[in-house]
Amino acid sequence: MQKQIIKYSFLVIALCLSLFSCTKEIDFEQADDLEISPVIETSLIFFDEPASSFWVNNTEVISIKDSIKIGFFSNKFIVDNLIKADFVFEATNSINKGFQVSVDLLNDSEQLLHTFTLLASLSTDGSDVISNHVEEFEGDTLIALTNTSKIVFTLSLIPGETINETSLGRIKLKSKAVFYLNIDDDSI
Amino acid sequence: MKKFILFFIVISCCFSFSQNKQLLYGFSDIPQSLLLNPGGKIKNDWYFGIPLLSHIHANVGITGSTIYDIFASNGIDFNTKLQNAVYSMGSNDFFSANQQLEIFSGGFSFGSSYVKNKYLSFGLYQEFDFITYFPKDLAILALEGNQNNIYRPFRANNINVAAEAISVFHLGYNKKVNDNFTFGVRGKIYSSILNVNSTNNKGRFITERGQNNFYEHIFNLDLEARTSGVASLTDDESGSNAVVKDLTKRVLLGGNLGLGFDIGITHQLNEQWSLDASLLDVGFIRHSKDVENYKIEGDYVYEGIDPIFPDTGNGQTAEDYWNEIEDDFVELFTPDTTTSKYTTWRPIKLNTSINYGFGEKQYEDCNCLKDNKSYLNSVGLQLFAMTRPKQPIAALTAYYYRRLFNNLQVKATYTIDSYSAYNIGLGMSTNLGGLNFYVMADNFLEFKNIYNAQSVSLQLGFNYIFNKNED
Repeated sequence: MQKQIIKYSFLVIALCLSLFSCTKEIDFEQADDLEISPVIETSLIFFDEPASSFWVNNTEVISIKDSIKIGFFSNKFIVDNLIKADFVFEATNSINKGFQVSVDLLNDSEQLLHTFTLLASLSTDGSDVISNHVEEFEGDTLIALTNTSKIVFTLSLIPGETINETSLGRIKLKSKAVFYLNIDDDSI
Repeated sequence: MKKFILFFIVISCCFSFSQNKQLLYGFSDIPQSLLLNPGGKIKNDWYFGIPLLSHIHANVGITGSTIYDIFASNGIDFNTKLQNAVYSMGSNDFFSANQQLEIFSGGFSFGSSYVKNKYLSFGLYQEFDFITYFPKDLAILALEGNQNNIYRPFRANNINVAAEAISVFHLGYNKKVNDNFTFGVRGKIYSSILNVNSTNNKGRFITERGQNNFYEHIFNLDLEARTSGVASLTDDESGSNAVVKDLTKRVLLGGNLGLGFDIGITHQLNEQWSLDASLLDVGFIRHSKDVENYKIEGDYVYEGIDPIFPDTGNGQTAEDYWNEIEDDFVELFTPDTTTSKYTTWRPIKLNTSINYGFGEKQYEDCNCLKDNKSYLNSVGLQLFAMTRPKQPIAALTAYYYRRLFNNLQVKATYTIDSYSAYNIGLGMSTNLGGLNFYVMADNFLEFKNIYNAQSVSLQLGFNYIFNKNED
């Protein structure tokens, strides 16, 4: 009797083992090929001002300049994984005056790495005039972007009819950044 | 550190398969079946488990995709397979692992000398339980980004993880009131070795079209992770020996303590039909020592930087404006660390079954009437249910049990559960002299390609049993 039990037990165990041994081919090394390509969009700068804002102390303001220090673009994750970026601008102008916005990208030592200008065309009849600009960063310009630590914005009035406190209309700017990332196994 | 890792590999990965022990439940030839129903039938006079070998249980399970779906070496691009898996899974899909190792156990019957109708059993076992739900929204955000997901909320409740390692001291009492009714209770003291959980996250991140700018990014977050027993290990610079010593102490009631109980009954409806049921691990653990919790809570709406005319009049520059935004982000995403005590509830398990015995055992030597007729076969239906962080899981099992010889019993099960609708399990228990050995595993149909299995589970153990002299 005991022999039979032993025989059966071994049979069951052998059966289990033989079933266990069957696996189809699996390749965990494939994880090295991991590559994901999310596209992130984020708001950048914006403003919305009436014409009268450009009339200060009884004089027309010719240009306004401001800057921000930003560490985001030189963040290691961005440097390693960003393959392309677009800055998308949309200006809506109903003032009888053209504007231009210059954007200067500077590095730590205040060296100019890249600059671009977008125009907001004037509106002769008070209706909204929409101007678009897309600044693409790829290759050398992308390198410039990822070395950027300071951005200087300069809003200038294009010569034309003078603005005073009774001037009508508004100037609006919307913008966003589109970041094309490619994240692979090494950076996770 | 190596020893620390080894400790966990040995403890948690020995053999692992679900917490549903459909093969062991009701298998009264095996003393450990009493852990699944303290009011179960008892077939031995006394027993002791071979230390560290009396009950080894492991279970891993995954719903949705399998390892094979993602890692098959079939020429399809890995990223395509990964994407397919992500898209096919939902936020209620989960991966879970459960492991138990009995350190010692024993039991004996007592009562008046002619009817020993009471039974005491006791022991110490270690258990590891892990569950993580698939964070679908997070995976989509990582795969696609937000560009094509404007107005799609990325919900924080998708992050749902719980892990615990505990040891359990238990003492159970079983009483056969009469031929038709047996009940039992088991008291448990839990000692938590490690606990990590983040199961109550709320809030979301969403990108919407904005008023002033293209987009408004809305962060509304309420995330919390609670840990106990972890902080001292990661801080510990006193070396791996101290860590192992510390963990061993926690196994022996030195961790965060809790209390719980199991109850169960068996009701013999007539000679052939019986009903039984049990409720296990109704209990809690109070985490007061070595607690470290992390919380991220806040609301923030970002729509961009107003660089040229920031708050005209108060002299604020774009630099100030941007610094304020940066500070707000840092404040939102820097977790607050607290040491607030907390309580966790053990996952409660319900087992119940209806059984039908048939095929009376023939006695060669006499045709005498036995008090307890014993049947060679039984069939039945078992129901298992268990609480989990998001929603309970359940499994329904049909089984066939057969005594092949006096000393060999086998059981086959067919189970439908969250993992699959065709889970076949096999188990056997054999006695060689006083030594009892049992082994059981399920999902046999998937063993031909184990990586494609949604769950696998294995239990085995050795006991020394002194049986009632009934055969």
